[in-house]
Amino acid sequence: MIPFQTRLFGAVVALALAASPALAQQLELKIMAPAAPGGGWDQTARSMQQALVAAKIARSVQVTNVAGAGGSVGIAQFVNGAKGDGNQMMVNGFVMVGALAMNKSPVTLDQVTPIARLTEEIQVIVVPANSPLKTAQDLANAVKADIAKVTFAGGSAGGVDHVMAALFAGTIGADAKKINYIPFSGGGESLAAILGGKVTAGISGLSEYEGQIKSGKLRALGVTSEKRIAGVDIPTFKEQGIDLVIANWRSVVAPPGITAEQRKVLSNAVESMVKSDAWKEILKQKGWEDAYLGGDAFADFLKKETTRVTDVLKSVGLVKS
Amino acid sequence: MESFAALAHGMAVAVQPMNLLYALIGVFLGTAVGVLPGIGPALTVALLLPVTYKLDPGGSLIMFAGIYYGGMYGGSTTAILINTPGESASMATALEGNKMAKAGRGGPALATAAIGSFVAGTIATIGLAFLAPWLVDFAVRFGPEDYFALMCVAFVTVSATFGDSPIRGLTSLFIGLTLGLIGIDKLTGQARLAFGIPELLDGVEVTTLAVGLFAVGEALYVASRRHHAEEQIEPVRGSLWMTMQDWKRSWKAWLRGTMFGFPIGALPAGGAEIPTFLSYSTEKRLTKHPEEFGKGAIEGVAGPEAANNASAAGTLVPLLTLGLPTSATAAMMLAGFQQYGLNPGPLLFAERPDLVWGLIASLFIANVMLLVLNLPLVGLWVRLLAIPQPWLYAGILVFATMGTIAAKPSVVELSMLAGFGLLGFLMRRFDFPIAPVVVGLILGPIAESQLRRALAISLGDPIVLLQSPMSATLLAIALIALVAPFVLKGLDRFKASED
Amino acid sequence: MTADNASNDAPQAPPSRRIDPAGLVIAAALAVLAAVLVWDASRLPTTTMYGMGPEAMPIVVAVGLGLLAIGNLIDALRGNLPPRESADPKPVLLILGGLALLIAIIGFGGGFILATSVLFVATSAAFGRRAILTDLVIALVMSTLIYLAFDRLLTLSLPAGPLERLL
Repeated sequence: MIPFQTRLFGAVVALALAASPALAQQLELKIMAPAAPGGGWDQTARSMQQALVAAKIARSVQVTNVAGAGGSVGIAQFVNGAKGDGNQMMVNGFVMVGALAMNKSPVTLDQVTPIARLTEEIQVIVVPANSPLKTAQDLANAVKADIAKVTFAGGSAGGVDHVMAALFAGTIGADAKKINYIPFSGGGESLAAILGGKVTAGISGLSEYEGQIKSGKLRALGVTSEKRIAGVDIPTFKEQGIDLVIANWRSVVAPPGITAEQRKVLSNAVESMVKSDAWKEILKQKGWEDAYLGGDAFADFLKKETTRVTDVLKSVGLVKS
Repeated sequence: MESFAALAHGMAVAVQPMNLLYALIGVFLGTAVGVLPGIGPALTVALLLPVTYKLDPGGSLIMFAGIYYGGMYGGSTTAILINTPGESASMATALEGNKMAKAGRGGPALATAAIGSFVAGTIATIGLAFLAPWLVDFAVRFGPEDYFALMCVAFVTVSATFGDSPIRGLTSLFIGLTLGLIGIDKLTGQARLAFGIPELLDGVEVTTLAVGLFAVGEALYVASRRHHAEEQIEPVRGSLWMTMQDWKRSWKAWLRGTMFGFPIGALPAGGAEIPTFLSYSTEKRLTKHPEEFGKGAIEGVAGPEAANNASAAGTLVPLLTLGLPTSATAAMMLAGFQQYGLNPGPLLFAERPDLVWGLIASLFIANVMLLVLNLPLVGLWVRLLAIPQPWLYAGILVFATMGTIAAKPSVVELSMLAGFGLLGFLMRRFDFPIAPVVVGLILGPIAESQLRRALAISLGDPIVLLQSPMSATLLAIALIALVAPFVLKGLDRFKASED
Repeated sequence: MTADNASNDAPQAPPSRRIDPAGLVIAAALAVLAAVLVWDASRLPTTTMYGMGPEAMPIVVAVGLGLLAIGNLIDALRGNLPPRESADPKPVLLILGGLALLIAIIGFGGGFILATSVLFVATSAAFGRRAILTDLVIALVMSTLIYLAFDRLLTLSLPAGPLERLL
């Protein structure tokens, strides 16, 4: 029951932009969060739902949750069940790359149709304030001196923190297989271990430890961004001579076997969503960093990231080559 | 004493009539959603958070606090009434609570749970207000070896749930430990006992196990014995309310439960399950009515419920002072706080005292509202048990499976639920205690990963377990608790043989 | 769990010497479980550089299960199991059948309402109800309301089948 004027307006805009939002208005999307309700992927899916509907890009969006094994269960169902369906999408991210490799999943990210990267979070290495290590080079030297004695606290085995610890060791010329990485269940547990001086250093997303860094309880040795982040007074690893660039990204993909036309419609919908005020408002609320990367550039990125992560996991022995 | 002044100001804002109404609505919504199976407090908060966006910051914060407390209490209600704990922390409540409900004492059980939650919540919130900075210092020093020692203490107390035979109790415990091994190993990412089934990689969900063993197993058991004598459930026998005797037996349990719940909840990896078990076994040891345990002892509801709620307030200590969510619920609360411009972290108490005290005042008010709303509802809730037996158990089973369907609608997960139901039936039939299985599933993985973390840090040197004073003390307590009963028993026998 | 058998840990002669076959089965099951644990642990790769590996804990649990299998075996041989009353297998099978149907219906996309209704009717029949039609109507109404509450109010999607699509 769209009023006539609106329909007319829609048609005019469609003609003008050729992106056909009038057609997009008819979109009835299903977005799968391959995780339990409440987690990061679920929040991303529900935020997309909110923004897509608020910006009138889609008429309705339904979020489904398929939890299990870092997304391995969800992607298997997505690839098999949604094949060729141009109205479905799935949220995923860095963690899924490692999880699929470690769980020997028969389904891989090569099978899905990449749509776009949405957000990313920069990683940081911290030490307690009273640690003798002042710079990333100090840490590198300590690792080179006795790799077993330098303990890293971070998130789950094979996750972004673990991959980053291995990359750090590899970059400075140490044996990544020998790193003493201790996975903790959550940020709270690993922070306690860092503050309590139980471990040498901690690895995490920057936002998680930002408060502690600002209050001086933790010292940040470096961040993993390409360039300095505005408003954050922490040197990058790169400017300290360590080529370590990594981010914890989240993206959205479509099922295999969809037509180029269908892919275009979904890509356009996501692109207009990212540009909408509703999405920007959500990013601000949740403290997410916009890292939109669409089309073939994202497909490329996904491929490179998959190769890199799998290689790292092989080097630390989590994935058998 | 500027804290008091700030708190008084926060209170003044919170008791405005509109804000009281928001608190009441929040508690109502929280309870209504929280009683749904498969929806624990974290998901309740996640689902209802958007509702609060529409209000002004003050009203929104207070409604949020109400939702939080309502969601917590909703899980206990199903544990008591239909033996279906909504989250792992309500498991200890189900042990005695459901027995009470079946004996017509559901009213007092729900009442002691509500009042105990209130008492514990209030004390713990005061603790949060005045001890947080000090407590967090202590919590942060707690290392992996200390957690392992704490788990050892918890393991020793499990024997309180063993029943008559140590062999059968231990058998149950080891079945639980075995189930705890299923899934991806946290420290190396290797799959154990998953047999190539992806759904098993995440391990066995505590609620699936508990609901299967408790609710489904019980339904099967009752059905199998129907030809002996129809089980009669009277919704109310004796008083609907707590008697003087009930009050007398409850209040100490509430306080002791709070003493376990608050500090352990404040530990980043403390959780709510361990204090509830510690409280349950303490009450069982200290009670003057040991014969009632296993048949519906009110202390066994009062203590764990208080511990559960106090630990929830405890998790706010690292959340507010360090900005660290240490549980799923806390993570959702963090999302909620950020909504109100409250950025938890080391600077929060110094920079935004108004918001902190506003929040603490809201928690107080929400706690009061929980009592106001739920005590009158007790009569209504227990009437549920008057439903004819076929429909009651059919409804319980639908509710139990619905929780699993809502959380993980996979054939594997549902088959596990049915399998655990069958296991629960067989264990009842052959007189194996049920609770140790769930305890083993919860404690086993924590104890294992903390021990392995400690050993990885020390490069494999076990002396680290004794070097930390905290860990050494806790291990000594565990050892004493383990040996003391045997020594006392020996002394008793010695005395008896002298007579 | 209320059975009285104080004789378990006491040294005096057991009350009966009849061997309990159920006890033998339990002991055997525990032994098999222990063997599975050892087998599973043996195929874990030893990649751990520092401290304990992932195979240590399964071995510890397996040893415990092995000892408990022996303990349960001794109990069974002595006839030490607590007395139990006869059980009626029919209602148990009926409920388990209801659960199996529920799993099958969910698995084949029959939807939430149909699946839970079947379970409801099966359980209520197991508890002696014969008015299957009445129960079916009650179950359908109840599960439809639950489905709507989850779907519309909480925006959590329960499995949808033909019935749900009509809503």
